[in-house]
Amino acid sequence: MRWLRPFYSLTYVVTRGVRGMAQAPAVQLLAVGTMAVCMLLLGLVMLVWSNAQGMVRAWGLDVPVTVYLVDGVEPGQVDAVAQRLGSLPEIATIEHVTAEQAMQRLSDGLGADGSMLDGLDPEVLPQSLEIGLAPGTDPDFGHVLAERLSELPVVDEVAVVGAWAGRAHDLLETVERLALGAGMLVGLACMAIVWSTIRLGVYARRAEIQILRLVGGTARFVHGPFVFEGMVQGALGASLALGLLWLGFDAVHPFLERGLSMVFAAGALHFFEPVELGVGVAFGAGLGLVGSRAAVAHYAEV
Amino acid sequence: MAIIEFSDVTMTYGRGRKRAAALRGVSLAVDEGAFAVLMGPSGAGKSTLLKLVLAMERPDQGTIRVAGRDIHRLRRASIPYLRRNVGAVFQDFKLLQDATPMENVALALHVLGMPRREVRQRAAWALHQVELDPTMARPARCLSGGEQQRVAIARALAGEPAILLADEPTGNLDPRLSREILDLLAGIRDRGTTVLVATHDPLVLDHVSLTQTIHLEHGRLVTLSAHPEFEDDDDIPAILPAAWPEPAGAVA
Repeated sequence: MRWLRPFYSLTYVVTRGVRGMAQAPAVQLLAVGTMAVCMLLLGLVMLVWSNAQGMVRAWGLDVPVTVYLVDGVEPGQVDAVAQRLGSLPEIATIEHVTAEQAMQRLSDGLGADGSMLDGLDPEVLPQSLEIGLAPGTDPDFGHVLAERLSELPVVDEVAVVGAWAGRAHDLLETVERLALGAGMLVGLACMAIVWSTIRLGVYARRAEIQILRLVGGTARFVHGPFVFEGMVQGALGASLALGLLWLGFDAVHPFLERGLSMVFAAGALHFFEPVELGVGVAFGAGLGLVGSRAAVAHYAEV
Repeated sequence: MAIIEFSDVTMTYGRGRKRAAALRGVSLAVDEGAFAVLMGPSGAGKSTLLKLVLAMERPDQGTIRVAGRDIHRLRRASIPYLRRNVGAVFQDFKLLQDATPMENVALALHVLGMPRREVRQRAAWALHQVELDPTMARPARCLSGGEQQRVAIARALAGEPAILLADEPTGNLDPRLSREILDLLAGIRDRGTTVLVATHDPLVLDHVSLTQTIHLEHGRLVTLSAHPEFEDDDDIPAILPAAWPEPAGAVA
């Protein structure tokens, strides 16, 4: 059946890729190990960044201005205030937090002790508007805004986080840039590792490549096993790095949380979510794909 | 009808002072179903001519048509589909030395995207055609020169190409083995495949019923002789090349 041919070719490409890897296990181990070390560095920076972001959220630093509304405020009045605020270019985000949402947040924040709030009427907590400022906004803007908002009859109180919040944001941005830079460096390093490994593979199998060219192998067919190999190396390197990072995190985070309890609320530190782990492995496979494709295009011309 | 046509083909290797002409204004035609031999001393341009048919080189000038298609105007991605229609056998066999005869032949069939069972059946058939045991477990490096050349012919034959090119197929073999290989090639021609053999071995002229002889010297065509007395086109169903290129998107 002609339409099944791509499937049979793919089966061959995958099995040949696996066989190719098995032919040089030491080279594969070296490549995966080196990639894992590189990816470990990137993972560490990403984990620090992710936790720093989490802390900023936990401390409310991502919401520089919180407007607490008076009891019994009507939804229409809230919308009117939000609409007026939304027209200001300095304001990036506005979120209306109802009393029920505020109670839920409080309960979540208390963790295991959240049950203390059982039976408590959510209306004891005020509704609020959480305002995020656009990047580059003058730090004094929050205070000016707070003064103006305080004059509105629907506003009970306005809380503005201090200048240190700005510094925390700057720090977070620095970590973010560091993560980006590390990502690019690690990406290049991983691609170079895959490039070198695939080049060795191409040299080792050059007779086979020559024969495949001769008998009508397409570029995808000839390159496929090498590209598969590169992707597997990348995915394995990333998986190994994430596994090592998890082991390290599991060993260290209780000490960090105990030793720096003022900084980290209990349970504030977190590891990557399953989706993020998946993205990490896919990122490794993607680097392997790019590195191996570049290598075979250069060394195994069809 | 000509299945291979060269029109004023010139091909040079190297650049500047190191520039050397391998073919100079060669025009020739090989008929469908022919057993043609390309004669000439070393450096006459025989191998270059075969490489041009396989689109492994590009001519500097002139056109080369295979089954009516100007092959050097093919897209790069279409060239593999041309090669599936043109089997090739070389003096140095070009086999995977650590692979068995079956594995060597199967490689050419995997390229076509065949299921494993069909690959095994077709490879076994091709090995039977060259009188080799398909179950032979010895790797190619443990086979004799004659056996290795048979494996190479089986590999070229497995995909049932319209054209079979052989570059000095008897170059590494003693006279007895050479005759066996030439008999095999003649048998392939009798089944309808056009065979073009490049050689300087005079045994070929004596042993095989040729339909065409092409003589090259210093890259120039010296003689192009037809031997109609050996043509028997009525009995030979000519194999025509499958269409190429394949539809876009095929992995194989």
